[in-house]
Amino acid sequence: MSFFGFNNSGHNQAAPGFSQAHNPFAGLSHRDDEGEALEFDDTYDGLGDQLEETGDDLNDDTFGGDVAPTGHGSVGRDFDFFGQTSKVANVIEEEHMRFARQQPPSKVAQHTPAPAPQSYDYGYQQQQYARPVRTGYEQYKEEPPALDDLQVDLSLWGVAPKKQQQPAQAAAPSPAPARKILSVEEVEAQMRAQAKKSPQPPPQQAPGMAPPPGLQQQQYAQQQFFNNGYQYPNMQQPPQQVPPQHFAPLQPQVPRPQDTSREPAQPAHAQPVQILQRPQSKHAQVPSPVAPSPVNRQQPPAVQTPQGLQQPHPGQGVHPTQILQNPNRLSGEHGQPSPISQPSHVAAQTHPGHPAHQGHRQQQSFSQQQQAPLAPPQVAMLSKEEQDAYLAQEAKRAKRNHKIFVMSKDNGIMTPQDKNFITRIQLQQLVQATGNPSEFGTDQSLVEDFYYQVHSQIQGGHRQHPSQPLNNFAQTYLFQTGSRQGGMRRHNRGGDNHMQRMEQQVQRAVEAAKNKPKNKQLVIEGSLGKISFSNAKTPKPLLNIKRTESSGEVQRPGTGSRTQTAAGGLSRKEALRSIEAVYDTLMKLEDHERWRPPPPVSEVEQPDEVQKSIEWGEQTARLNAKLLEALKVGAPVGVYPVHPFITLLSFNKTIKVMQRVFRHLTHQQRLTVLTLIVYSLDSMDVVKGAQVNNTNDIRFNAAMKEKVELFMLNVMSTLFNFIGELDLDLVAQLLEIVSDRNVGAIAKSKIGASLLTMILSRAEIIKHAGGGNEHSWQKWNYQYTRFFDHLAPHLPYIFPGSPTSGEDVYVWQLLAAIGIGASPDQQQTLVLQVKDRVMDTVTLAKTLPVELSTQRLNNVNLFMHSIGLDVGLLA
Amino acid sequence: MTDQGDEGANVSEPLDLVRLLLDEFVFVKLRGDRELKGRLCAYDSHCNLILGEVEETIYVVDEDEEDEEPRIESKKSEMLFVRGDSVVLISPHNE
Repeated sequence: MSFFGFNNSGHNQAAPGFSQAHNPFAGLSHRDDEGEALEFDDTYDGLGDQLEETGDDLNDDTFGGDVAPTGHGSVGRDFDFFGQTSKVANVIEEEHMRFARQQPPSKVAQHTPAPAPQSYDYGYQQQQYARPVRTGYEQYKEEPPALDDLQVDLSLWGVAPKKQQQPAQAAAPSPAPARKILSVEEVEAQMRAQAKKSPQPPPQQAPGMAPPPGLQQQQYAQQQFFNNGYQYPNMQQPPQQVPPQHFAPLQPQVPRPQDTSREPAQPAHAQPVQILQRPQSKHAQVPSPVAPSPVNRQQPPAVQTPQGLQQPHPGQGVHPTQILQNPNRLSGEHGQPSPISQPSHVAAQTHPGHPAHQGHRQQQSFSQQQQAPLAPPQVAMLSKEEQDAYLAQEAKRAKRNHKIFVMSKDNGIMTPQDKNFITRIQLQQLVQATGNPSEFGTDQSLVEDFYYQVHSQIQGGHRQHPSQPLNNFAQTYLFQTGSRQGGMRRHNRGGDNHMQRMEQQVQRAVEAAKNKPKNKQLVIEGSLGKISFSNAKTPKPLLNIKRTESSGEVQRPGTGSRTQTAAGGLSRKEALRSIEAVYDTLMKLEDHERWRPPPPVSEVEQPDEVQKSIEWGEQTARLNAKLLEALKVGAPVGVYPVHPFITLLSFNKTIKVMQRVFRHLTHQQRLTVLTLIVYSLDSMDVVKGAQVNNTNDIRFNAAMKEKVELFMLNVMSTLFNFIGELDLDLVAQLLEIVSDRNVGAIAKSKIGASLLTMILSRAEIIKHAGGGNEHSWQKWNYQYTRFFDHLAPHLPYIFPGSPTSGEDVYVWQLLAAIGIGASPDQQQTLVLQVKDRVMDTVTLAKTLPVELSTQRLNNVNLFMHSIGLDVGLLA
Repeated sequence: MTDQGDEGANVSEPLDLVRLLLDEFVFVKLRGDRELKGRLCAYDSHCNLILGEVEETIYVVDEDEEDEEPRIESKKSEMLFVRGDSVVLISPHNE
């Protein structure tokens, strides 16, 4: 715009409302002020009279005689502050005059004496706005014509008082040669006259739109801005005068210059611009719409509008600056400055309330009309329905814009850096909550997905699983933000830092999560290795744990026997208590597990960490000991008819919990548990109470059946895994223990048979894997022979029910396990013992449908193959 | 974590005893002449109960025939929620 000479002016003008959101209410408040001011005067006078009437004989004495009457009289008309302001204004005006000589004085349609909205408190407002109102007046001494213009517009809607139209026309031709400075009295007289003319609120006002007092105050503040600012526009007018000429030719190509010139100066006043033009459009007839007048008007309107025109729609007035600016731009594109564009404005004005918004759409919609300057009158002639439709539309749009404004109020408060910062904090919290169990704050994550955490822990996933989603999330997040940020980097260096920091943070979190499982192994495996060459990584406590545990087991029988000598073993109630204790301790252990501190990287640098993990280890040991005690594993063997642990195992809830318990036991402890179970097999209720009978179909009650299933599911599977880790010596020992018990009874139960199968097949697996030394095998063979001798007599009776029952798979499995390891002699014995059963089954299979029979025969074949035979041979 | 005070055997309130019955068969007497037998799955401080494999017995006395023996109705449900305010008694149930 520099080429227009607007530069300076533009900035100055902008100053008042430039970067601030335009307060559409400003206009309202102005207008209100006027109306109120007038009314206030009236009110005041009346009161004064009353007071005098009551008789103030003593008033003089009290207040200082003369003062009272004079003051009273003068209060209404004679505003000192106003006068002073006017002086300043005058000075400014003089300056303005200098600049603007050539210009036709801007006809400012200042005061639309729009009646104050009823909702206002007159007294209240007057106090607040008294000043602004007056200052406004002074500057606009010449306004009356302008006012008329504005009102003419109002009249379009049929609302405005008609008297004023005529003056408006008159005013139009008269671009006042120069602004005269009116005396205060004159101004006031004008004000009064106007006030009287327009006592009623214009119908356009939306009843609900009346701004709340709070808003008004804001407006008030803005008004002051306006007042200050509007003076500038005047000063700048001279430069603007030039543009109009340029504009006309330029319009098509360079619509912008106008916009820019306006925007800086009147960002807030966008609405006014349109409004002002509207009067012009009406007057278009009068002077040719040639540039000068419109241009001049643009600026003054800015000032005026707040007071007069905008007032009708207080609520709508609130628009974000951008929105306001848009109309200007549009208008500019259309070559607003030229009268041509005015038609659109006129149309918009049809709705006095929503000048600004109408501007956008209407301009567009009427763009065609723009070319026809005559359009405005046509618009004015719109049919009632059309006008109504317009109003409705406008109301809608106003509502929407208001919403937008309210929402966008806080736009741009946060810089990109701020946002990044916040994101980082959130991410950090997220990482803390989800990813890093070692850090505090885990409890919160537990609250949210306790079951998932526990489940994943029980499933052996440990930390890795919880960390998995984090990784994905983190990567996704980083990727997205990173790329987004990438675009901004050119502009925004600061954002870079935050991003980097954030990335690092996430990286660290991810790494920590990844390291978790590794560390675990390190602790367990490393404890042995580390001990030898370094004392650094707290190997000692880890060792201690094991020792206390294993030694604890050895000692416990002694202590146990002392405390519990009850011959009957555990009473039911004691057992129940113990079980609850097991659950309690177990839950604590599981919880404690989550607090495992990360292994210290170096003892020197992180003594605290070392200390922490030592404490953690100790606590683990304590809980572990407590768990064992609750399980009664350490109770002396052979003292009770039924070992307390086995008693506990007769409860379903103990069976259910064994899997979880096993996870927290050391190898030695597991072995102890296994030994105990094997040792007590024949006294366990799942064995003792579930003896099979090979003649009749077995029918234990449902509860027992269920319990056996439960036991198979929970305990046996756990034991199976564990037995899979044992070496030959231990397996041989287990076999020896079993052989000492009532092998027949054991084998007659599903649980017992399964356990035997496990032991035997483990030995077989070791043999296949080439494990075990000579000595061990000798030992095993001896034990096996002994076991076989014990079992052989019972073999015919270990089948559940008759062959028809079809539930004897596990028996065939056991037989297979026995058969594989058997010597030829033993195999022969074996065959002899079960020959009947085999034959029966084969016979039965012939009577069965193919599927069933193959199944049965396959079962038998399990055994037959193990001794190198096949059912096929029997057929 | 501290060791003290949370022994399972520690009885500090009546419901601690109910806790021992968890996963056990219990006999529950309710207001309105109803009785339940079932496995105690869960309870809370209001004596709200979750029972599994429940057999509910209702004793109905017809007002017309006062001398008559109460009629007995019984239902079975797989799972039952019992609101605590109707619970009169909880006891271990030995079959």
